[in-house]
Amino acid sequence: MNWKNVVQLISVDVKSGRLVRGQRFRRYRESRLFQYVLYGGACVLGLAIGLVVGNFYNGVTDPEMRALFHQGALNFFLSLPTLVLIYSLIFTMMGQIQRAGVKASIQPPYWLPITWEEHTLVSTLANLLGFSLASIILISSGIAVASIFLGEVPLAVFTILTLLASVFLASTTTEIFRVLQVRLIGAVYKSSGRAAVWVRFLGSLLFFIVFYVVWFALTSGAGSIALIEMVAGAQKAVWFIPYVWLGVTLAAFMGGLLAQTIIFSLASLLFILALFYVAVRLNARFGLYEPPAVTVSRGVYIPKVGLLGKLGFSFLEAAVIRKDFKAFTRRRELMYIFIMPLVFILMPLMQYLGALGRPVSPEASPSFFTWILLAPGVIMAVMLGLMIIGEEGGSVWLFFSSPITARSLVKCKYAFVTIFSCIVTLVCGVIGILIAHPSPRLAIALLVESILLIFALGAVSLGAGIRGADFTEVPRPRMVRPLTALVNTLLCIVLASAILSPLIPYAVTTMNLPVPLPLPRIDLYAAISISAVIAVVITIVFYKIALKKAEEFLLEAEI
Amino acid sequence: MVATSEYAVELRGVAKRYADITAVDYVDLDVKYGEIFGLLGPNGSGKSTTLKMILGLVKPDSGSLKVLGINAEEDTVAVKRQVGYVPENPRLYEFLTGLEYLDFVGDIYGVDASEKKTRIEEYLEAFELEGREGDMISSYSQGMKQKVTLISAFFHRPKLLILDEPLSGLDPKSARIVKDLLRELTAQGVTTIMSTHILEIAQAMCDRIAILYEGRLLALGNMEELRQRARLPGSDLEDIFLKLTGTGDIRAVVEELLR
Repeated sequence: MNWKNVVQLISVDVKSGRLVRGQRFRRYRESRLFQYVLYGGACVLGLAIGLVVGNFYNGVTDPEMRALFHQGALNFFLSLPTLVLIYSLIFTMMGQIQRAGVKASIQPPYWLPITWEEHTLVSTLANLLGFSLASIILISSGIAVASIFLGEVPLAVFTILTLLASVFLASTTTEIFRVLQVRLIGAVYKSSGRAAVWVRFLGSLLFFIVFYVVWFALTSGAGSIALIEMVAGAQKAVWFIPYVWLGVTLAAFMGGLLAQTIIFSLASLLFILALFYVAVRLNARFGLYEPPAVTVSRGVYIPKVGLLGKLGFSFLEAAVIRKDFKAFTRRRELMYIFIMPLVFILMPLMQYLGALGRPVSPEASPSFFTWILLAPGVIMAVMLGLMIIGEEGGSVWLFFSSPITARSLVKCKYAFVTIFSCIVTLVCGVIGILIAHPSPRLAIALLVESILLIFALGAVSLGAGIRGADFTEVPRPRMVRPLTALVNTLLCIVLASAILSPLIPYAVTTMNLPVPLPLPRIDLYAAISISAVIAVVITIVFYKIALKKAEEFLLEAEI
Repeated sequence: MVATSEYAVELRGVAKRYADITAVDYVDLDVKYGEIFGLLGPNGSGKSTTLKMILGLVKPDSGSLKVLGINAEEDTVAVKRQVGYVPENPRLYEFLTGLEYLDFVGDIYGVDASEKKTRIEEYLEAFELEGREGDMISSYSQGMKQKVTLISAFFHRPKLLILDEPLSGLDPKSARIVKDLLRELTAQGVTTIMSTHILEIAQAMCDRIAILYEGRLLALGNMEELRQRARLPGSDLEDIFLKLTGTGDIRAVVEELLR
């Protein structure tokens, strides 16, 4: 193992994450700000939480309460290795799913004199960079400070060591998953023939659903407390599962059982090494595996005229819309967009149905329906608007070199954003109606408001997406500059509030909500009409801004 | 727009800088209608930037450009409609099949549906992509991707072809098809500007050649004019190129490398 190679390759990965695009497409500069903010912020937050917890513990005078608090803290320490393992697995696997399909990002090591051990170690450690590492910094700094007040410094140090081992274990598992996934996808392509595209699309959606059901079960308030209690208590019972050995080691250390501590420490170490060896062998076996070609069509070629032409789109505009639809259903890294509506349906749905152990009362159904009808489609419009230009990636040269006008570009991209988001709203609306049985007035009002928001915020976000487009594709597609996304999100919140504001007096008076000032009674349809006027004005203004940005974008193209 | 000049492309005092690097240094260039014009030069000499400026992909810092009689800066869309472009490193939509990509490009350039079908099928057959046209481009080899890029530049029948290293990665048969096709299109009045590092191809195919060096135009003319300019009568383009660009004495460099 050449450690210099490992360090150099990790620094390449870190550097690629630090590159930020300036106003011109070909200019990239390095910015360490995000990294400093992420890791430094995690450390500061962890220290602050540790101080708060420690001071709270110091402030408790009742001995019984102190003992209870102390035991709770120990249980938390005890559950940390396994909890961190579970969360790191989720984070690193999601990170892998978002990675670009661009082969250039992973190929260079294959022709450079780098061993599979070095390559696997780099990949495993690179998986941890970002939010996984930030989480570990946060937890470690928190428990380090809290342990001083609790008088458990040695335990905290040992816990931090097991945490580091846990994240490495999670990342090694993800590395195995990554290699197997490539091989598995190849087998799926081969066996499913022309249906491969749809098998992959539906398979990915199913994967997201399962992942998020588990995620919500673990992260919901009641679920996470139950999990900590369960993990702390049940680790010993399932000691034969290697993934809990780090937790068992910590329990043995806490109990002063030296022999058990040594045995499980060594067993954990051996397990991690064995997994790493498996990852290395799998990389060596399938690392250069090229999945078989995906055949989408066979037979006679018939140019499509299609429905879009009848809706007033030119051949050019319809072609771009069709291409974008294929991009979002075929590019694995873009399928991520479907997570968002799934999340917004699953989260309240699981709560509503009591799947998280905390059933929502029937009185809450109007708010559930409001959430499920407004949130997914509107947030989809904001996200799609922001990324619809940047998703072109390196292929954007075709737009710059082809006779596409700013008007056509904005028209077809805006149409895609709004059509797609409206479909999501309608699907969510049907699910909401079936579950929550809202009144027809509420259903119609929310449907209209949702569509108004989609059109208005879609136009706002499209303009921002053009202005802040980022065509970087490796290691994962960026699509839009983070600062642009942040500013656009804040602007959308303000504008959405403005559009929805005429409905506030109606909602307050109808639902008898407590307000400091008496509000005038307003008819629902009058409120919707005022809201529609505001939305239309916002849509027109920001559509024109998007047009202006598109003209600049096409004129100042520097590829 | 009707062409009012005898030149398909006119560059007057065109310059482009990137920070402190001068990519193109006040170049004057004319390309006649219906000729194959070669743009040669070492790496970083400004060939690709010049081609991109002609197409409107890069905005010149100074100077003026006329393409097919149109002021390229005023009406870039009108220029692009009549141009077929092959970039140096084309990135295609890898999630589309070859057929879907060509269909998409056909729609972008407004090719009539029945004509599009006929032309795509002809080109797929000529470039031996039949049987693979329904596969996703992500599974194509580099040469196959280059063929798709070339077809997408040719099949909408442009008046001007801008080709940056068009034969890169092509097998001998496909390279021959491209060469013959270019000659045939030239006979039909299509103008071609191509950059290449394969000097034999430039010598065999181009009516006139321009040699760029560090952004400046070193020489311009047909083979005979270039020989006179380099004072190398009877020599081939490689010798002329090496002499004009000052890279002729490479023996010392090779010896140094082998030491």
